[in-house]
Amino acid sequence: MSDSSYMGKILHIDLTREKFTDMDIPSWLRDSYLGGKGFGAKLLLDLVPENADPLGPENVLMFLTGPLTSTPAPAMRACVVTKSPLTNTFLDSYFGGYFGPEIKYAGYDGLVFTGRSSEPVYLHIGHNGPTLKPAEDFWGQGAIECSQSIKDHLKDNQIKVATIGPAGENRVPYALICCETNRQAGRGGAGAVMGSKNLKAVALRGNSLVKIYDQKMFVNAVARANREITDSPDCRGLMATGTAGSVEFANETGLIPVRNFSDNTSALAAGLGDKGQSKKLWLGRSACFGCPIACSQMGAVRTGKFASFVTDIVEYETAAMLGTNLDIGDPRAVAHLNRLCDELGLDTISAGACVSFAFEAAGKGLINHLPDHELRFGNVQAAARLIELIARREGELGELLSLGVKQAAKQLGPEARSMALHVKGMEMPAWGPRGAPGMGLAYMTADRGACHQRGFPVGYEATGMEWKGKPVKALELKGKAELVYSLQNYLAGTDCLVKCDFGAMGVNPDTYALLCNAAAGMNIEASHFDRLGERIWNTTRLFNLREGMKTTDERLPKRFVEEPLPGGPHKGHRISESDMKYMLQDYYRIRGWNENGVPVQETLDKTGVLINNKFTL
Amino acid sequence: MEKLRPGKFIRTHFDQCTGCSLCKTACSLHMFGGYNPGKAMLRIKHLWENLAHIPVVCEHCVNPMCLKVCPTKAIFKDEKAGTVIVDQEKCVSCGLCSQYCPLEMIYTDPETGKAYKCDLCQGNPECVQACPFNALELRDQE
Repeated sequence: MSDSSYMGKILHIDLTREKFTDMDIPSWLRDSYLGGKGFGAKLLLDLVPENADPLGPENVLMFLTGPLTSTPAPAMRACVVTKSPLTNTFLDSYFGGYFGPEIKYAGYDGLVFTGRSSEPVYLHIGHNGPTLKPAEDFWGQGAIECSQSIKDHLKDNQIKVATIGPAGENRVPYALICCETNRQAGRGGAGAVMGSKNLKAVALRGNSLVKIYDQKMFVNAVARANREITDSPDCRGLMATGTAGSVEFANETGLIPVRNFSDNTSALAAGLGDKGQSKKLWLGRSACFGCPIACSQMGAVRTGKFASFVTDIVEYETAAMLGTNLDIGDPRAVAHLNRLCDELGLDTISAGACVSFAFEAAGKGLINHLPDHELRFGNVQAAARLIELIARREGELGELLSLGVKQAAKQLGPEARSMALHVKGMEMPAWGPRGAPGMGLAYMTADRGACHQRGFPVGYEATGMEWKGKPVKALELKGKAELVYSLQNYLAGTDCLVKCDFGAMGVNPDTYALLCNAAAGMNIEASHFDRLGERIWNTTRLFNLREGMKTTDERLPKRFVEEPLPGGPHKGHRISESDMKYMLQDYYRIRGWNENGVPVQETLDKTGVLINNKFTL
Repeated sequence: MEKLRPGKFIRTHFDQCTGCSLCKTACSLHMFGGYNPGKAMLRIKHLWENLAHIPVVCEHCVNPMCLKVCPTKAIFKDEKAGTVIVDQEKCVSCGLCSQYCPLEMIYTDPETGKAYKCDLCQGNPECVQACPFNALELRDQE
């Protein structure tokens, strides 16, 4: 057999029976779904029983790589796929760093966990194969702390570890999986699924080599991809300032969340952006495996009341959700809250949204202040305390906020509804859509709920960048469905590699195709990713509809529909019911779905969704 | 004349290193024909939760302890190039070289126990070529 960058097998770990099985990857799965998100979409549909409890043993938790993961193809990652306890839908969550590549060095394209261990355990794959080891001693530890404890315990600092923190153990539905320090499968509650399985960590050290089909062709393709990255102004921007460079941009364009999205410009943005962070935090750059961009700016909080600790760059989403959104302007304070979330194992976006929800609800008298802390915007100590209560599900308020804003608002009554900023139960990320309706549609239709990474039309809408030769007009509704559809398809297709969104700002589709052809002996062209992505969107759609998602769930939060933007270039604008209806129906039509958002048979046939081939364990 | 050190050597610059490990994948490809940074002949010490990355390369010592402790003379000095080399044919997998290299520059294959180490790629190190951040620099003192 000729060399290929696939390892050719998936490890199935049955936690209930403590059994390991090497599964061959069928050729139909590789041909039709490529890897990463594609494998995840198909496997979730095939392996998770209908109406499964996301936190029950019947749910499946998968760590998946793609054909380019672990090779020097620039900026590749891996993903976690499971049924989300936050949204009850398909969930894919991506992470960079060093854990993903190690899955392949351990000899596998993916790890698939089923069942539930009776006691806390961790999976260890070393040179002698996989074993489940007791994790009693690590249970209760923070996510970063536990990663080091396991390295110390195994006396191996080179081992790569994925862990959950107390939030995952306590099954908070927006708990994350920490994939080595500073890299997380953050959104949608994969950490809670891991906790529900009594799986504290996965520790890998592999001795396998990832081989390439045509080495000479691959070296040339990598050189080309690297040139495209160097030539890209977007990638060069990320090299200089990481995502912190977006803080001031989002403020100037009126997209940034302020006080639970009740405002959209903030005087605090300048201090929280790259200029503020570089002065108060940054010391040097750091990269994920094999990445020439190195968007991480590592630093330390060395002065002030939160000193001292090491911190990665405060990413845009965190700077906004735990910064401007909470009226907190000191990057050291935001880094402190960020660190708390990372160690306790909470998604910073959802945690920020839940804290701002609580601050607003307390201001309106819907919930009580804490005995020692007034719940008001700008109060760092109150935010820190809430984050701890949430992760530990402590007290009435901790329990309430740990449910996420959708469920918490339900409990507080109709007055709280406008404070709950979510789609399908997933809290809004930090790009307000009222001046960018295409972005609104992307949120409404994203397979995992309010997510900015399944399509980012605001990049066109806020800048007037050209799409198919024409500048995109921010407030226009016409054409937005087509834009969202195209972006979603391409991103899903390349999420099979598994690409990083930042590398993709530079690397061209035909170069990705060339990399695949060289690495795995495929024969694909640039357009392959669009078709593959469309197949995946139909596959995840089938899963979500089967699990009870309704077309009425595909709508924006009340605030964006009823309350006009208070400031910024699109002051006064909102996305009305009829705007949503127009865009959604246009989108369904373009996707080949009926008016209820259900793919018609012809669409499934045309896009090549494999109904009859099923992957079984 | 016998060379005490190679005329060409790798100078490391930790302040430029981002930890990306492309140097290590290039090394594993050169040594073993595939990618796995865990099978490289150089290391990166990741300190303080990745705040600092310190590349460590073989110095091809004037006084190589690995060579001195080898009971089968599998490690020898290439007198023309000045490099310290392992002959895997002669290596008996005793592990002494690895034990006595203070920089941990000996790679031991977990399956065979055989020792491997940096050979400077015959004067054109792959790791140096692979680094996008100029953290590894080939110096020539000849």
